[in-house]
Amino acid sequence: MTFNPFNPQTLLAILPEIALVVVAALVMGLDVVWPESRRRSLGLLTAGGFGLAAGLALIFAQPPADHPLIFGGMMRHDGLAFFFRLMFIFSGMIVALLSVDSAGVARKGEYYAVMIGAVIGMNFMAAAADLIMLYLALETTSIALYLLAGFLREDDKSAEAGLKYFLFGAFTSAITLYGFSLLYGFTGQTNLYSLSAALLGGSVPIGSLLVALLLVLVGFGFKVSAVPFHFWSPDVYEGAPTPITAFISVASKAAGFAVLLRVMLVVFPDIERYWGPLIAVISIFTMTLGNTLALAQRNIKRLLAYSSIAQAGYALIGLAALSQTGVAAAIFYLLTYTVTNLVTFGVVILASRVIGSDEIADYAGLSRRSPGLALAFLVGLLSLGGMPPLAGFFGKFFIFMAAIEAGLVWLAVIGVLNAIIGLYYYLTVLKVVYLYRSERDHETIPVPRAYALALGLCAAAVIVLGTAAAPWFGWATNAASSLF
Amino acid sequence: MPVNVETVIFFLLAAMAIGAAVGLLLSRNAVHSALFLVLNFAVVSVFFLFLAAPFIAMVQVTVYAGAIMVLFLFVIMLLGAELLRGGASGRWHSALAVVLAAGFVGVLGYVAFFSGIAPEALPNVDAGFGGPQLLGMDLFQTYLLPFELTSLLLLVAMIGAVVLTRDARTRSAAGPGARP
Repeated sequence: MTFNPFNPQTLLAILPEIALVVVAALVMGLDVVWPESRRRSLGLLTAGGFGLAAGLALIFAQPPADHPLIFGGMMRHDGLAFFFRLMFIFSGMIVALLSVDSAGVARKGEYYAVMIGAVIGMNFMAAAADLIMLYLALETTSIALYLLAGFLREDDKSAEAGLKYFLFGAFTSAITLYGFSLLYGFTGQTNLYSLSAALLGGSVPIGSLLVALLLVLVGFGFKVSAVPFHFWSPDVYEGAPTPITAFISVASKAAGFAVLLRVMLVVFPDIERYWGPLIAVISIFTMTLGNTLALAQRNIKRLLAYSSIAQAGYALIGLAALSQTGVAAAIFYLLTYTVTNLVTFGVVILASRVIGSDEIADYAGLSRRSPGLALAFLVGLLSLGGMPPLAGFFGKFFIFMAAIEAGLVWLAVIGVLNAIIGLYYYLTVLKVVYLYRSERDHETIPVPRAYALALGLCAAAVIVLGTAAAPWFGWATNAASSLF
Repeated sequence: MPVNVETVIFFLLAAMAIGAAVGLLLSRNAVHSALFLVLNFAVVSVFFLFLAAPFIAMVQVTVYAGAIMVLFLFVIMLLGAELLRGGASGRWHSALAVVLAAGFVGVLGYVAFFSGIAPEALPNVDAGFGGPQLLGMDLFQTYLLPFELTSLLLLVAMIGAVVLTRDARTRSAAGPGARP
């Protein structure tokens, strides 16, 4: 396989990432120069940097129609990568805005620089077309996230989260790397598309190939927190600084899906009759376990952790359908999930600053203390539950439709049953927020402007995606088509 | 296998490498273990020379035997952890390690002698293979993007290392001993 030779034009394809590196350096520099009192602006600067990167991506980094493999075949400049890159940059921007007044992280340049590093890693994860590039991007993302999860060193829970995340991550990443090395050993290729060509026609025994596939799946399963690789998520979600919990729950999970979709569909299309049912089974366990365990949670961050495990299960249905519609549905689902979960976590961040705890019981009377915040929470939780006219409804609708189209009616039925369980615990939280009273009902919860902007953007996106889904789903379909 | 100078040297070096590895495991002093590891790395780098990869051999010496082992020795001496003591769990740990190592040697031996994969099947390498020029061409052409990403990865890791250790130092500096 030959790759396009380098020409300076291809640099435009990574212009957003180049801009992000510059912003990271700027943030680190200003952290030294600015006095403590001015450093709140670092978060706003970072958010602005992400906005700039998104703009550059839209103007200069649009993928050409022929999806070229660029930089010696290291990355593929296609619709799927473009879709996910914009999503990561958007999540980064929202998380930076949600961090500006967050205790312990807000005024630290390193925090924002490492976060930018994580986003760059994710961008390359989505675009990587070579095992070496893929692994490096995966590690760049992971190491940055381990650091961010354990950023509050003084807080034992955060330190525990960082360490636990690191140990689990390093372990699964080593297993994935072993899978990669087997793939290289079988074929002598590291490029995903050359691998695909080399594996076509069954020159490698199916048994060996399945072993490699399972090993590779371990690391990806960890990233998307699919059962049985989900053990880390409740503890990490609970202990990490809440903006980072939001970041891990949306961007890192979506990045895991980006590589999962690309590797499975590009490298292993020949044996999809083996791994398709496997993904369906993982998806059932992931949904059911996530939803069942979420029922018993009293801590909002743990509840959202189990909820996010369940959400990964729904998205896996899209892959199990093994069709272009299925992949488009999974991508669209991740988009709706990203904006929805960001709204929900935004409210949790603001509320916990005043309430001082993450216990669901302490959310009593939130609707009186801040009607706007309670409304945003309502939008977020109902969308997670899949109620129309919010984004989550269409997310689940397209997923189940793709499953039925692919003849997996039983899977769709299990999905719907799970969605009902999910709705129950989301409504339980809303009951506390709207119906219960507390002694501090009259104390309002202040909403700084940066947070209002972030929440407003995401809530608007939830409503737009839920009312005018067609153009966005069209975009997702277009992104999915670059894998087929 | 024909007996020539190369074979003799190979077996001499192999004995040295294995001896160094055994010494590393059996030594009760961590500094001695580290020095045995340096010897092992140095011998392995000569093997790379035999395999027509002079550049890798030099990298092995400078990076592993040099930089990384100096760091190891530095940490060992800084922590004062020269003397190792076998803990209560030591016995079954070492038994397990012996079993696993024996299994690994068994698998390697099987592949090398019985699986029918003959060394003649391996292709001959071109002249210049593994040399700095070819390596540089690959690194800065095909693998330019991963190379740059690695620098970002290391930068992030470095920032992280500073962040995770900085507070502890400032706190201990301002601790009880520092007060007037």
